[in-house]
Amino acid sequence: MIILFLTSGLLLGWSLGANDAANVFGSAVGSKMVSFRKAAIIASVFVILGAVIQGAGASETLGKLGAVNAIGGSFTVALAAAVTVYFMTKFGLPVSTTQAIVGAIIGWNLFTGNPTDGKALTQIVSTWVSGPVIGAVFAVLLYIILKTIKKNSSIHLVRFESYIRTGLIIVGAFGAYSLGANNIANVMGVFIPAFNLHDLDLGIFTLSSSQQLFLLGGLAIAAGILTYSNRVMEIVGSSIMELSSEAALVVVLAQAFVLFIFSSSGFSSFIERIGLPPFPMVPVSSTQVIIGSVIGIGLYKGARNINFRILGEIAAGWVVTPIISGILAFFSLFFVKNIFSIDVGVKAGNISDTGTQNIQADPRVSLIIQYLILSLLIAGIIAVLFYYFLERKKKIELRKSEEKFWRNLK
Amino acid sequence: MAVFTRTTKNLILKIEEFFDNIDLGLLVFREGVKAYLEKDIDAFNRHIQKVELLESTADKLQRSIENEMITHSILPQHRSEVSSLIDVLDEIIDTIKATLNEFSIEMPEIPASLNHNFISIMEASVSAGEELIPAARAYFKSPYTVREKLLKVYYFESETDKVSRNTTRIIFQEMKELDLAHKSHLRYIIHHIENISDNAQKAADLLSAMAIKIVM
Repeated sequence: MIILFLTSGLLLGWSLGANDAANVFGSAVGSKMVSFRKAAIIASVFVILGAVIQGAGASETLGKLGAVNAIGGSFTVALAAAVTVYFMTKFGLPVSTTQAIVGAIIGWNLFTGNPTDGKALTQIVSTWVSGPVIGAVFAVLLYIILKTIKKNSSIHLVRFESYIRTGLIIVGAFGAYSLGANNIANVMGVFIPAFNLHDLDLGIFTLSSSQQLFLLGGLAIAAGILTYSNRVMEIVGSSIMELSSEAALVVVLAQAFVLFIFSSSGFSSFIERIGLPPFPMVPVSSTQVIIGSVIGIGLYKGARNINFRILGEIAAGWVVTPIISGILAFFSLFFVKNIFSIDVGVKAGNISDTGTQNIQADPRVSLIIQYLILSLLIAGIIAVLFYYFLERKKKIELRKSEEKFWRNLK
Repeated sequence: MAVFTRTTKNLILKIEEFFDNIDLGLLVFREGVKAYLEKDIDAFNRHIQKVELLESTADKLQRSIENEMITHSILPQHRSEVSSLIDVLDEIIDTIKATLNEFSIEMPEIPASLNHNFISIMEASVSAGEELIPAARAYFKSPYTVREKLLKVYYFESETDKVSRNTTRIIFQEMKELDLAHKSHLRYIIHHIENISDNAQKAADLLSAMAIKIVM
């Protein structure tokens, strides 16, 4: 039953993996600097790590917006967001999972009569604008620095590109980690208030109830990356403008930085300590940050080769996505409650009166997750070994063919 | 990761070695033509053998560089241009080898009065090639300086054209003692020497476009 209720969240995670995670390595894969296989493996691993280790911050803010207090409600809210994301993607619009889930939560608030926290909503909405703008500013600054280094250092082009390639992999891993930390709230945030699982002791570390949900969400995102992000990655690399290898690095770094600052409590308190207003821990849209970064570089380079139509589409997305998702969530909740008679949650003060049922601690679920982690580890090791031997075989075959060529030529 | 493997270092060495081969080839060509004009056949044959070795090494390096760039996905955005550049540079050493072989097989009779003209054509043509090599190396290390280095290539290419036009005019209009077949043969040899600077110009055009693309 739990798995059934979680499917909508997992579906949302899958679509986030297929679309948003593609942004992290999209410019690297699109510019042919990193192969899709390598990118997908690194992104999957680090998205899961980011989700489990640092996913709590952004989820808290999303929880403030509306604490969905029944599993049926969480299911419907996530489903409404997933359907919105799916159809917006189908129509080729740069959709954000964040905006979809925020709209769906507000839809739930309206349906159940819960008030929407205006402060949390303002925080979230303001990052939809500030995220891409910070991304653009950061991208331009980084681009100038990198260009200056390249101009003055006389590094051999081949070596420079190899540094860029290594940088893309490291920064991509950081980007995937930040994406997992920041966007896992979209996927699993709505399920946290409704779930209460046993802590899972894995010997080296213990996973709390929310971390177990984040792990499942992370796995769904990883599945999205591995199964469907290939096409999206190749499109992202060239859809807005052609990116050079160094621009690709800058874009990924800018995106990773923006996602990180909006999900790191440590960074936020550091900013507060030096007397600046703290960054709210809010899930931001990686798609829009990437687009902001690419446009920033484009403007710096003279703005002749930018597709400005995409800017209009982003602005439209800010309004259209939450509205569609909210309306969809509202009507879906109505159907789920009245036709299927499933509890979708009530006004926060009335929980005890109505006996709203959450998923309570169940040792079997923890056991399933334990086995899941174990099988994941084994699958990971097998994948790495397979990849290593495949590469080795290719190298040997090439060397043999080369030797044969020169021997025959003699 | 590329940084931790020797692939990058090996490729850089191979590219540098390839440029060295072309540079040496031009040097040997200069000495070879001089030896022919001075009728020092032993030295001339030695230079032909040396050029053949350099040309064969350049071919191997060319293939190896292209292979490594593809298999290790190095310079994905500039790979086709770098391959084209190496291809055009290889044409220079191919032309050098072909021209020295023309001398060796056809043994053109160059009147002593034209020795100076032939040396001038050869010097200008070889200089165009020699000026190209630093520009090609600069593409990889300081692309901002490529275009200024290419100016000399264009200068020597036009010098080659000028000197060879004058020499052809002398052959056909002033040297009445030569028969038409002899004149045509000399013109043909001049044309071959000119090909080196023509190829250098072709490479310079390519390099110029490549440099703009990389600094933008």
